[in-house]
Amino acid sequence: MSIFKARVKEFDDALAQDVVDLKELRRLTFNGVPDVQSFRALGWKLLLGYLGPTRSSWTTTLSQKRALYKQFIEELVLPPGHSCNGAGDADGDGDGDAEVAVESRGVGLQDHPLSEGPESAWNTFFNDNEFLLQIDKDVRRLCPDISFFQQPTEYPCDIVVHSRGEHGRRLHERVVPTVLSSANVERKGLGMTKINLITKRSVETYAAMEEGQEAHWEVVQRILFIYAKLNPGQGYVQGMNEIVGPIYYVMASDPDLSYRAHAEADCFFCFTALMSEIRDFFIKTLDDAEGGIKYMMARLSNMLKTKDIDIYEHLKSQELHPQYYSFRWLTLLLSQEFPLPDVLRIWDSVFSDEQRFDFLIKICCSMILIQREAILENDFASNVKLLQNYPPMDINVVITHAVSLA
Amino acid sequence: MAKKTYDLLFKLLLIGDSGVGKTCILFRFSDDAFTSTFISTIGIDFKIKTVELRGKKIKLQIWDTAGQERFHTITTSYYRGAMGIMLVYDITNEKSFENIVKWLRNIDEHANEDVEKMILGNKCDMTDKRVVNKERGEAIAREHGIRFMETSAKSNINIERAFCELAEAILDKTSGKEAAENPERVVIDRRNNDKAPGYSKCCA
Repeated sequence: MSIFKARVKEFDDALAQDVVDLKELRRLTFNGVPDVQSFRALGWKLLLGYLGPTRSSWTTTLSQKRALYKQFIEELVLPPGHSCNGAGDADGDGDGDAEVAVESRGVGLQDHPLSEGPESAWNTFFNDNEFLLQIDKDVRRLCPDISFFQQPTEYPCDIVVHSRGEHGRRLHERVVPTVLSSANVERKGLGMTKINLITKRSVETYAAMEEGQEAHWEVVQRILFIYAKLNPGQGYVQGMNEIVGPIYYVMASDPDLSYRAHAEADCFFCFTALMSEIRDFFIKTLDDAEGGIKYMMARLSNMLKTKDIDIYEHLKSQELHPQYYSFRWLTLLLSQEFPLPDVLRIWDSVFSDEQRFDFLIKICCSMILIQREAILENDFASNVKLLQNYPPMDINVVITHAVSLA
Repeated sequence: MAKKTYDLLFKLLLIGDSGVGKTCILFRFSDDAFTSTFISTIGIDFKIKTVELRGKKIKLQIWDTAGQERFHTITTSYYRGAMGIMLVYDITNEKSFENIVKWLRNIDEHANEDVEKMILGNKCDMTDKRVVNKERGEAIAREHGIRFMETSAKSNINIERAFCELAEAILDKTSGKEAAENPERVVIDRRNNDKAPGYSKCCA
């Protein structure tokens, strides 16, 4: 049996247990998950704690969570006064509009889109647009080096993509800047009036899809929006898009279609679980707290100092502060430093780390140590460049090096 | 240590709301290229370009910052060392223009008093989406006594000119200081010379 086949079998066995041995799963995943079957998608769900180790509990957990997520969409994404019975008669021919308005969730006759009352669902709806605009900008520039996020998903969210004549079900529709377009009007006597619209359409690569379809970035947008709505103290912070991106990619390319169909909901809960561990990185007021980003950067810096005092002193003498490079490395769990497949490989190890993020710091430290010769040779500018644009490299070299750090 | 291949080092900083095109402006200037698909800047990014101004090789060390509020504690620490700051807004985004005042306050709080400033209204190629007219940009710049330009990183309008003008303004100051230290040297003050013909020559 080849080594690869042996690894596949190990994963097969580990995940087929009635009660998955998480310790064994961690050990296996730490060395990288083979890119076959649902190993990674399932393994991450377990390691992030979305699914418990008992196999028989999965069906219930999944159906409960997915139903809950659907409820989030109905309550938080759809415009106030929408009709909830979406998916079924999604081709909505407009029948029974009057009943729908009465049934719709708690929007009384007093509430209307121009209401400024603090209780107004419409008021909230418009206030959300501020952070939605930021999310919109960021999801449209997620992983631009691969086309995945611009592609349509095979499992669009029914109640969102069928507008039923309503505007604003798709989140990005709410934040499209309104522009008055000018036109030339030619009048000839009493006859026809000819209007020449002078609009130039710019080509957008992250363009929205047709009715009934949606692109993966639109799904990611919804996940981030719901997360921000449910975590109002934190809201949306730039970089969260880079955290949700790889998780969504893994869930939405799960070869098991029964899982893939629920990539959005599953990703949401895995993302939420991961964020509960790293949320402090995204909160400014916690920068100096234990678990905050400055504390993490200090840990990296201290490790570097013990491992290689020469590099440490050299960078220090150049006043090349750790935040020039490690702020982004650590906040985003290295997701912007490497191509997506390498990021997945890194995250296999990071998620398997029980002392979460000890290993992340080791990887970061190794990235610096591997460039030892260059760093000691370089001036300040070249070093910043090197560390901010880490050179392409076999990711296994970096990980093996990190493992070797005691 | 690399040998010194320049006469002066100027540190510049790009600030402004998220998505106004700071990274694109910098990329156009440093690599003379444009791509609309940039990942969002987290924390701070960095580029170098050497230009020649009045016979002096000037190395521009340009820091590109993240626009979102969360990153301000990280990014404001760079204000202090900056000799020039470019404040960017997006002519198709009203909010980014309104926030110019907020950014100027940030500069007052965190930067050196004599830092050279410049306001850029970016994306001026997108005429069909414009919501902030040029006069408003000029007015706010005049009010604060700051240089102003409309730019387009995409169509390469005024990008090089903006950096060179900012660098030149810093050079004026530096020369002024040098003159005070070496009184025998003659320094021509170009500040009153409104449209200095230097642009075409610089950044060659």
